[in-house]
Amino acid sequence: MMRYPTMSLSRSAEQWLLGGMTLALATTACIWLVLAPAPTAPAYFVAIALLVASLAASLILMRRVGSSQRRMEAVLQGRTKAEERAIEALRNSEAQWKEVFEHNPVMYFMVDAAGTVLSVNTFGAAQLGYSVDELLGQSVLRVFPANECKAAQGNVAVCLNNIGRTHSWEICKVRKDGSTLWVRENAKAVRLLDGQPIVLVACEDITERKQAENALRQSEMYLAEAQRLSHTGSFGWCASSDELIWSEETFRIFGFDKAPSIKRATVIQRIHPDDRARVLRTTKRALSDWKDFEHGYRLLMPDGSVKHVHVRAHAVKDRSSGIDFVGAVSDVTVRKRAEAELHEAQMNLAHVTRVTALGELAASIAHEVNQPLAAVVTNAAACQRWLDRTPPDLTEARGSLQAIIKDGNWAGDVIQRVRALANKNSEQRAPLDINEVLNEVVSLVQHELFRYRILLRLELPPALPLVLGDRIQLQQVVINLVINGIEAMASVADRPRELIIRTGLDDAGQIVVTVKDCGTGLAAENAERLFDAFYTTKSGGMGMGLSICRSIVAAHGGRLSALQNSGAGATFQFTLPLHVEGSPP
Amino acid sequence: MTVRSAPPHSTTSAEEAIVFVVDDDASVRQALSNLFRSVGLQVETFGSAHEFLQSTLPNAPSCLILDIRLPRLSGLDFQAELAKADIRIPIIFMTGHGDIPMTVRAMKAGAVDFLTKPFRDQDMLDAVTAAIERDRNNRDEAKAHSDLQALFAALTPRERQVMKLVTAGLMNKQIAAEIGLAEITVKIHRSHIMRKMGAKSLPDLVRMAELLAIGPTSGRPQT
Repeated sequence: MMRYPTMSLSRSAEQWLLGGMTLALATTACIWLVLAPAPTAPAYFVAIALLVASLAASLILMRRVGSSQRRMEAVLQGRTKAEERAIEALRNSEAQWKEVFEHNPVMYFMVDAAGTVLSVNTFGAAQLGYSVDELLGQSVLRVFPANECKAAQGNVAVCLNNIGRTHSWEICKVRKDGSTLWVRENAKAVRLLDGQPIVLVACEDITERKQAENALRQSEMYLAEAQRLSHTGSFGWCASSDELIWSEETFRIFGFDKAPSIKRATVIQRIHPDDRARVLRTTKRALSDWKDFEHGYRLLMPDGSVKHVHVRAHAVKDRSSGIDFVGAVSDVTVRKRAEAELHEAQMNLAHVTRVTALGELAASIAHEVNQPLAAVVTNAAACQRWLDRTPPDLTEARGSLQAIIKDGNWAGDVIQRVRALANKNSEQRAPLDINEVLNEVVSLVQHELFRYRILLRLELPPALPLVLGDRIQLQQVVINLVINGIEAMASVADRPRELIIRTGLDDAGQIVVTVKDCGTGLAAENAERLFDAFYTTKSGGMGMGLSICRSIVAAHGGRLSALQNSGAGATFQFTLPLHVEGSPP
Repeated sequence: MTVRSAPPHSTTSAEEAIVFVVDDDASVRQALSNLFRSVGLQVETFGSAHEFLQSTLPNAPSCLILDIRLPRLSGLDFQAELAKADIRIPIIFMTGHGDIPMTVRAMKAGAVDFLTKPFRDQDMLDAVTAAIERDRNNRDEAKAHSDLQALFAALTPRERQVMKLVTAGLMNKQIAAEIGLAEITVKIHRSHIMRKMGAKSLPDLVRMAELLAIGPTSGRPQT
């Protein structure tokens, strides 16, 4: 603007030219008037008039020319300004793009077919710890670690082979200081105007994402490893599609190939047929109640083996994910097997102690068998005498025979009972009348009671509810407690030796069996250790009795406890849960 | 041996022998009852010593069959109890195996026999027959004894005095001197004594005196 000063106040050349011409004309006219023969007056006046008119015309023209020129100038001036503005805008834009190019948080590289850096933005260079000049003209391989160079070259080659197509990849780069960073590169080869191909590369730093990914991968790996080690898989159950989403370990446990999801119907087929209905009941109830659930069942694997699993599931409150239950499934086969082995060992030990106890009771048992035997022999002799009479007394003989049958059966029952106790039979749970169980063993300890001159008081109220238990094991517990009570009273001389066996119901509605003696009682320091294995206060004891009794009672869902009486002696008592109709034995 | 048998409950004087059985085991009781009935013996059974003591015993030759193992009051204690109550009934014990120490104690305490269960019927019957026979003898002896005592009681004090001296072996003359009577008077007393006591001879009277535990030389107390 300053370079084109305005001319609006001065006269333009055209005006000067026009004015000059008018002046020359006026001068000519004046000369003609002065030098020429005097004209006639009219001609003179005409000449004067012409002169004035030409002067006037020149003045008007001068003004016109001036104004049109000013308009022209104004137009010209406006055009120049617009141009200037455009140039300015262009310049700004360029600067802006330059800024963008240089500082956009994306690294831009332009390399030629040989891999030489033709251009790099400041951000890109700075990210790698270089200045732009340090990289220009250098091989691009300089920013790659040795192990990535081959990949980098390959990537460039791929771009060059597919000019115009965009490729992207993730690669590791090395900074000037030697540290590395992960980048994602988008690259495209283009031809310059001269036909030379170059590769444009834009890369973004993905180190953080990569680290997060690595951390996630590691965490997943740890999780998978932990699941594998603990034999616990996880699952999600989507009820609407009836699909399950499993972890790798869950697939392994169930023996299916890994898949994104699996149909529940497929899985149910793998459940042991004996457990299937129960599992379905549990899950159906959990679904309708929308509650957490927990259950254990068996799997029948294709190879015929059986696995035990334990499942705990949590009802998901937020159903937006489409998952209704999440849970964990544990392969507890090994534990179950160990439990079974432990159980068997316990049963064996229980058997040994039972047989030992029976040994102690041998005299008592012999007496118990001897009684009916004596009755049988005597009745048989009497029968013979009734028949030998003349005439034979058949009614009495028949009566004798009936008595023989009764007594024979009784002896048989006793032997059966003893044999059952001595047998190493497997556990058999059945609904039992606890009083009946007690009565059966009480007869076996009669001799011991007699030997130690002990009065047995039985307080067995009739019509107690049934318990679910193993008759032999419960009898073993009672025998043990009774023998303990008898032995505890062996040294008592100053009071009647009384042993009370009592049954009843406690406040919780469980059956309670109490064996109370008035013997030496429990020393406070021994009370805690009473139920420990191998703990005994007897010189000949193995110390297994009470320990086994406690595990037997515990296996029945009850509890065996001992307490010192307020008077003399001790009371042992155990609880047993009632048999619930319809519950599996 | 002189046994004073005086069952306190004796009311009748039935002569038929009776067997008492005390056993807590109903089968054994029934079997024994059957056996004794089959040989025509009267039998009564009791579940405990207490029941037996509560009952009224007939005045008849009898014996008691007792299980040595009885709850509450054992057979041995029962035996001692009966002795204390002066019930002198022959006792046959029934024992199980391994009850030898108790058997010895029972025999020492006057049991007439013991049988191990299961026993042979004949052994039991023999034992019972022997025991009843013994009881019958005891009872006869006791009866004779009490009759004798009644006769002795019927004598006058002088006659009793004379009898003591006669049975002590003194001559009539010695007796007369001893108590200051005429020899003839002593002879009369003596003939009265012989008649009243039913003695056939002097040795007979001496035996009676011994049974009655009179006289200075035969004053040994009987158990």
